[in-house]
Amino acid sequence: MEKLKLMLVDDEERFLTTTEKLLKKKGVDVVTASSGGEALEKLRAHAVNVVILDVKMPGMDGVATLKEIKRQFPMVEVIMLTGHATVDSAVVGLKSGAVDYLMKPADLDQILEKANDAFSRRMGIEERIRVARMRGLMKSPRDILRNT
Amino acid sequence: MEKSHYADIRRFILINMILVPSIPFLIVIGIGYYQLSRSIESSTIASMERIVGDHRHMIASFLEERKNDLEMIVNTVSFDELIRPERLSSVFTQLQLTSSAFSDLGIFDENGVHVAYHGPFNLTGKLYRDTPWFQETIKNGVYISDVFLGFRNFPHFIIAVAGMENDRPWVIRATVDSQRFTTLVRQVRIGKTGEAYLLNSQGVLQTNRRSGGELMEKPLDTIPTPPKGDDIHTLIHGQEGEETFLYATAWLKDRQWLLVVRQEKSDAFHALYDSWIPVALISLIGGACIVWAAFTLTGAIVRKMEKTDAEKALLSQQLVGASRLAELGEMAAGFAHEINNPLQVINTELSLIRVLEEEMVEAGHLQKGESYEEIIDSIDQIKIQIERCSKITRAILKFGRQEDGHFESLALDKAVPEIIDMVQKKAEVNGIRIERRLPDTTIKVQVDPARLQQVLLNLLNNAMDAIIEKSGSTGGSIQVSVRDGSDGMAAVDVSDSGAWVVRLPWHHRADGRENGGIQQGGGRHRIHRGAAYYATEAMSTHKT
Repeated sequence: MEKLKLMLVDDEERFLTTTEKLLKKKGVDVVTASSGGEALEKLRAHAVNVVILDVKMPGMDGVATLKEIKRQFPMVEVIMLTGHATVDSAVVGLKSGAVDYLMKPADLDQILEKANDAFSRRMGIEERIRVARMRGLMKSPRDILRNT
Repeated sequence: MEKSHYADIRRFILINMILVPSIPFLIVIGIGYYQLSRSIESSTIASMERIVGDHRHMIASFLEERKNDLEMIVNTVSFDELIRPERLSSVFTQLQLTSSAFSDLGIFDENGVHVAYHGPFNLTGKLYRDTPWFQETIKNGVYISDVFLGFRNFPHFIIAVAGMENDRPWVIRATVDSQRFTTLVRQVRIGKTGEAYLLNSQGVLQTNRRSGGELMEKPLDTIPTPPKGDDIHTLIHGQEGEETFLYATAWLKDRQWLLVVRQEKSDAFHALYDSWIPVALISLIGGACIVWAAFTLTGAIVRKMEKTDAEKALLSQQLVGASRLAELGEMAAGFAHEINNPLQVINTELSLIRVLEEEMVEAGHLQKGESYEEIIDSIDQIKIQIERCSKITRAILKFGRQEDGHFESLALDKAVPEIIDMVQKKAEVNGIRIERRLPDTTIKVQVDPARLQQVLLNLLNNAMDAIIEKSGSTGGSIQVSVRDGSDGMAAVDVSDSGAWVVRLPWHHRADGRENGGIQQGGGRHRIHRGAAYYATEAMSTHKT
């Protein structure tokens, strides 16, 4: 069974370090990035399942980062983290492929809950894909017979 | 706006409003006066000419008659008979019966010897053969002299007629009393200064003149001699230091005498001068009316402009206020958003503290006790306060979002009763009836439901407060009517017992379909503005 591997993306350093500490204490594998660019870089190196992405960041903002992540890593689930005024951009994010959004200030439990939800959703999808593939393989025994 | 700006506009309007009507007014007055004076002048002159004509005719008739009197004697009575004094006397008596103008009568033979005479003087036997009048009479058969004194030393003129008996000419001569003749000539009276007199061809007065000028004198005023002929001439003539007169002249007695009728110009044309009065009066009244109207209208226009400008200034002030409020709301939303970030950090830190605390307790680094409880309580308090801050920022952000407005197609006939229901209870408690006048058809408009609700509730609450304030527990009524105008306008009218009415108007599509494109934009704008305006209006109406 695969394990949840979370990535936190926010420009607030202190938030990143503290949350990382807390999550690690809870036994969650965490990677952090303080910008959109860094997040994309680290995604290449680490097998991350779920990304918690701040909408408002200097430089590459949340929505742009999201689009890039979805393009390069379609199997990664993204949860938008937003201040209220940017709910609209969170909605844009949902339309662009984010799975959910979180409103600041969010509790760690909330974050974890949503991350787990997204992870299990991802797992479900992957499971279905696997099943479908296997069916695809097993679907045509006649072909196999014919080929022999 | 500056005062001088209004003063300029005022001056401009005033000048135009006075000048523009004044020009045709003055032209009309001018033409009218010109025509009037022309007509008065020509009628005055025409009447003068008529008088002269009539008068000439009368004088000529008089002279003709006197001449005929003598000719009749010549033709009916023989020379021999006439030279007998008693016969001459009876003839003279006969003559005086026809005209009292004759003062004597004389008979002359062919040699100019005065053979018989009847009259106050003794002239018998005097020789007249060489006198011009005798020769003229023999030559022409008739002679009428100018006025002269003669040896009687009394102004008179004579009429002489020649007769023929047995191829021998003789002459009968009568003297006409100049006094009587003058009376005849002078009997013309026109106006105050009108008079008539005769001049001979040398310009010597043949009759006395009322305004001065004795018989047989040359008058001081010499008028240019008119051309000889039967025409009547008129002229206006005045000499230095004297009145100007209107003259009318006509020749008579074979162009020997000139009949002059004259009248002081000011008298003759007094109607002309009098016509100034109504003209001046009309000008004065008309001018006053124009000026009064100009001032009144200008005042009204400028006042209206000032009022409009003041309203505009107020409106733009309100607009600035509104936009500042919107800016403030946006800023507040921004602040709230920024505060959420540190709150997030604090929240996370707090979570860490809790985890660490639990670990420490487990490891036995922390002793549970009074201080420990206080720390836990304090941490809980921080959590509560974070929640509080979060609620506040959310409220601010929610409020900021409302400003955007949210328009949707709404059935007024359904939405309005729903809103009324919300205040129905309050109205009943205070004895206020809310009368609903709703149409049977569905009226759909583009509207922000929250705003419509806010505005209508505002109006209804204000109306109720006003009734309670005014009538206390006796109550009153409020009418709410939803109207569907035929011109594609819908309106909600709210009135309280006729005290004040507020109308919320906006466009809608009669078919009730969703408005689209530009029309939708128009509709939105309309209700947005209308609602905001009437909401503030309603509140201010109530306050006053």
